[in-house]
Amino acid sequence: MSEIVLGSGIMQLLISLILVSTFLILGSTRLYSCVRAFGIQSFLLACVAGIVAYSTGKYDIYVVSILTLVIKALVIPYIFIYIIREIKVKREIALYVGISPSLIIGGILVVISYYLIRSINLIELSSFALSASMSMVAIGLFIMISRKKAIMQMLGILVMENGLFLGAISLTYGMPLLVELGIFFDVLIGALIMGIMIFRINRTFESIDTDMLKTLIG
Amino acid sequence: MNPVAIAIFQMLVIIALAPLLSGIMKKVKAFFQIRKGASIFQPYYDIAKLLKKDSVVSENASWIFHAAPVISFVAILAAGMLIPIYISDMPFGFAGDLIAIVYLLALARFFTALASLDTGSSFGGMGGSREMFVASMVEPAMMLSIFAIALNVGSTNLDVISQTVSSRGFSAFSPYHLLAFVALFIIAIAETGRIPVDNPATHLELTMIHEAMILEYSGKQLALVELGAMMRNLLVFSLLANIFFPWGIASTASVAGIAAALVAFVIKIAVLGAAMAVVETSTAKWRLFRLPDLLSISLMLSFLALVSFIIVKGG
Repeated sequence: MSEIVLGSGIMQLLISLILVSTFLILGSTRLYSCVRAFGIQSFLLACVAGIVAYSTGKYDIYVVSILTLVIKALVIPYIFIYIIREIKVKREIALYVGISPSLIIGGILVVISYYLIRSINLIELSSFALSASMSMVAIGLFIMISRKKAIMQMLGILVMENGLFLGAISLTYGMPLLVELGIFFDVLIGALIMGIMIFRINRTFESIDTDMLKTLIG
Repeated sequence: MNPVAIAIFQMLVIIALAPLLSGIMKKVKAFFQIRKGASIFQPYYDIAKLLKKDSVVSENASWIFHAAPVISFVAILAAGMLIPIYISDMPFGFAGDLIAIVYLLALARFFTALASLDTGSSFGGMGGSREMFVASMVEPAMMLSIFAIALNVGSTNLDVISQTVSSRGFSAFSPYHLLAFVALFIIAIAETGRIPVDNPATHLELTMIHEAMILEYSGKQLALVELGAMMRNLLVFSLLANIFFPWGIASTASVAGIAAALVAFVIKIAVLGAAMAVVETSTAKWRLFRLPDLLSISLMLSFLALVSFIIVKGG
């Protein structure tokens, strides 16, 4: 495997910005700013894919990059905003874990994933990208279990997906186009289905607070 | 040039430019609030006017009340001697590193808070306790963010840091550099008492922090306190400017180099001040008990900077 010589510094910068955007999702208390941070994260991911495409010269990765930009940075945030607007959900997210403890747990997760990755012998950039992607998966999972609103659970799983995408694109320099297309289709359909689920939850329980799911409605 | 002359000149530059920065920030804020705003030289007139007036001091005030403005002022000025302003090879660079700067600023803050308690006014006590509450979170985060840079450069001495970063040019733009910059910018908001944390323009009892502490001061002492606050503002900004963007700073003590570096410094400070004013006008002041969230974001960013440094360099 050859190191991406061109843009290795820019790649590091982008990956760390992606980490920052993950922490923005973790650190904000407003639904809209969480969605905006997710959009920024997807945009940065598209930039990473673009750089990989440019330095490897594979044209199918350009397609992947553009698809990321369109689907993850535009369509999915739009679906989110549509859901938020349609069910008139309260703009503040409800938490099981406060903002400061969440941020600290996020930091611990980054360190843990770094230590897990360290045991694998990788070159400089790959190890950074892989530990960033691992920590994004972990933080996405943490967002899913520590936020009450169903929308945040949807956001958490998309952050996890972004983490996997980051790992895939920066380690293998792109999977076959067919696989990537399948994944994008899955993500898009997944987001739509989750959106419909949230509508159903809202209609049945008149709230998207997942705490309410414990109460039985007969 | 004589090193002593450079040091004295740096001191004069700090005192002379501090009110200008404050004036520029007020002007930019006024622009965004669609006001005309006072002239950017207004802080100079304010200070000059205050210096002509006598002080009124409470009968119950002890010597601390009189000593505190002087001690704070001198502590901030001493911190200014350690921060590169226009020359990276500072004559007093040997005397202390960034840890000394953090503690000199903490000393100034400590005496201001002490003086606010001294007269026994309820506002003073409130302001002092709030200031200490913020400071307890600002200081560790500030240290951690500068450590991230120090680790990258391999020294905690600020002149070495700014020399190394400026000689590296654009390759200095590493992830840890950027993360630490954002972290330190958030710290700078808290350290200089800007809007999400404290409102420098208010005298509303429920929200003020710094203004509440200096409520008892008047006349010459108030001038000293105000000038000290402006200098703290300038120093925090020059810390930001000359650690992260030290380009244009003079590395040798030639007159032409220093003149060019001064121009570059004023531009950098004005840009940072304008950026801060934009942040100030676009955000609302946060509730006091939400401040730990803001500062833990900063702490987390500097922590990420450290971790990513270790990951990339394979520590």
